[in-house]
Amino acid sequence: MEKIELDYPARRAVPRRVHVGVVASGDLEVLLEPSPDRRAHVLINTSVDGFGVVWNSVLDRFFERFEGAASIEINDFGATPGTVLLRLEQAAEALRA
Amino acid sequence: MNAAAPRDYRRFLARSSFIEMTARERARAILDTDTFRELLGPFDRIKSPWLPLQGIVAQADDGVVVARGTLDGHEALVAAIEGAYQGGSIGEVSGSKIAGALELALRDCEQGRPVWPLLLLETGGVRLQEANLGLAVIAEIHAAIVALRRYVPVVGVVAGTVGCFGGMSMAAALCSRLIVTRQARLGLNGPEVIEQEAGVAELDASDHALVWSLMGGEQRHAVGLADDLLEDDAVTIATAVRDAFGRGMPRVEHSAQVELFVERLAAIDPQPASHGNAASSLERRRTDLSAERRQSQHGRIWFEALTGGTGALACAARSVLVADVALGGEQARFVAVVPDANNRFARARQGEVGLDEAWALAVQVRRAVAAGRDGTRHPIVAVVDVPSQAYGMREEQLGVHLACAAAADAYASARLAGHPVIALLVGSAMSGAFLAHGYQANRILALDSPETMVHAMGKHAAARVTQRCVAELEELGEKIAPMAYDIHSYARLGMLHKLIGGVNADAPGPADVERVRMHLLAAIADARAGRPDLGSRLASPAARVMRAASIEVRRRLAEQWDAV
Repeated sequence: MEKIELDYPARRAVPRRVHVGVVASGDLEVLLEPSPDRRAHVLINTSVDGFGVVWNSVLDRFFERFEGAASIEINDFGATPGTVLLRLEQAAEALRA
Repeated sequence: MNAAAPRDYRRFLARSSFIEMTARERARAILDTDTFRELLGPFDRIKSPWLPLQGIVAQADDGVVVARGTLDGHEALVAAIEGAYQGGSIGEVSGSKIAGALELALRDCEQGRPVWPLLLLETGGVRLQEANLGLAVIAEIHAAIVALRRYVPVVGVVAGTVGCFGGMSMAAALCSRLIVTRQARLGLNGPEVIEQEAGVAELDASDHALVWSLMGGEQRHAVGLADDLLEDDAVTIATAVRDAFGRGMPRVEHSAQVELFVERLAAIDPQPASHGNAASSLERRRTDLSAERRQSQHGRIWFEALTGGTGALACAARSVLVADVALGGEQARFVAVVPDANNRFARARQGEVGLDEAWALAVQVRRAVAAGRDGTRHPIVAVVDVPSQAYGMREEQLGVHLACAAAADAYASARLAGHPVIALLVGSAMSGAFLAHGYQANRILALDSPETMVHAMGKHAAARVTQRCVAELEELGEKIAPMAYDIHSYARLGMLHKLIGGVNADAPGPADVERVRMHLLAAIADARAGRPDLGSRLASPAARVMRAASIEVRRRLAEQWDAV
């Protein structure tokens, strides 16, 4: 199990909390909520060690378009990068709904 | 199903699959529209305190969704298990969420505000990484269901595809009404565990047709172990749930229909129908396992020592010993399950709790309750040395989960009726066997001996299931108390009323027996002075430390119970 923390700049506040996904094999859950400051904070708990670089790339990609000041907790059970990005997009979509 | 008429395809396409939903979606789909209010949701972040210690990522809600809402306008509580997270396994937090919510529903019922409790079960049973705490909370879930059923029907749904196994299959069997789909499976021991522990000749877990013919929803419904068999459709299931509550309380709960099932079981030939040369390989396998599981006589030794060989009552199963003897100026019923080499069920010859044993326990404990109706609520002492529940194909087919539920129900009902029920652990207190025989007691006593142990699964079996080696499990047990096997680690969890030291557990002399008798009397007095629930297990100083999460879950559930 590995913990990874990442920080991103943000441009707008996040209106509410959103929860998507399940910590199932090959899946993950995302807990997204307003952050206490004007930045975005990501905490990743992953069952697979040694993929820090990949996590970085996936989150960089997500934050190219996502501008919310969110605290995001990710509990990952071996999801592929594609699945991670899909879950994050799902959370962002739920935020807009 | 593939024989469906062509016009049926539209109905099929219009279905909304309940099985494919997450636990949260399931709870939402069943409750009246827009009434879903989650308690202890993911953002409350009460996670398993034990999984991260073992390098396992924890889910924020620990895999159980507890929600309040209404069903046809009636106050309701839903506890839904997420089968995709850790196999729906019951850990300290997830199990306490279910037990705690049921206890609050019970409180409301007692105060004249009935709440309909609904369980959406999708679980492999105890989470082996939290072993003894998982087992303990499952006993608390059983206790709450039996207590609640006096006020409202408790309804369960097993939709699949995980199914419902282990101690939670007993919870399903305790439900007033149980709804299943064809995809569901329901059994005390899952097919993989039976294959692993009893050999592929006993049951080939990869043979899905065979597995579903033994424990699938259709089979369970056909033999009366489930009430409704439904298509996998959320609307159909939601309607059936409302119907189930609308029927009110059954005349006799399934797990209390003791005479009916005992009679049925008596007519059964215990040998599997046609199994070719399986018998010989079955024998071999049993020999292999006996090296791991030495047959213990502690149950018989202590039963005889405490009863002095007097007051023995006739019992349908030779493996169940019962006696009414004087204890501190009143009569007490002692009950033990012991090995019987000639047991008609081959899988229950080493002292396991099998079909005959569990039903016999239910009969004997219920008789004590019936005799106590004149106001004399005599003590019941369960002398516990049970290496396991019986693992076998025949056992599952004939509903050993209901048999064990009936035994647990009998003990819990005795406790609720005011009988002091004491469990005296003199050897192994394992898994489903302990849930059936002893874990519903008001107070638990244990002999301080290397032979006394409590666990959710035998060490070798648990190692195989969790893909760890035995040495690794032992090492984890040293760090993580609920995973350990020895009685000292169990005592640290705070659920033992007393750990009785200084007695010769193997060959007790008169002084040893007298000492244990004094502890029994003290426990009986303490039980009579307290409430007839299992609350004392959370009240000890040790429990406040080691079961902090169980207590925290209940505290915060109570805070969120009523909408603000």
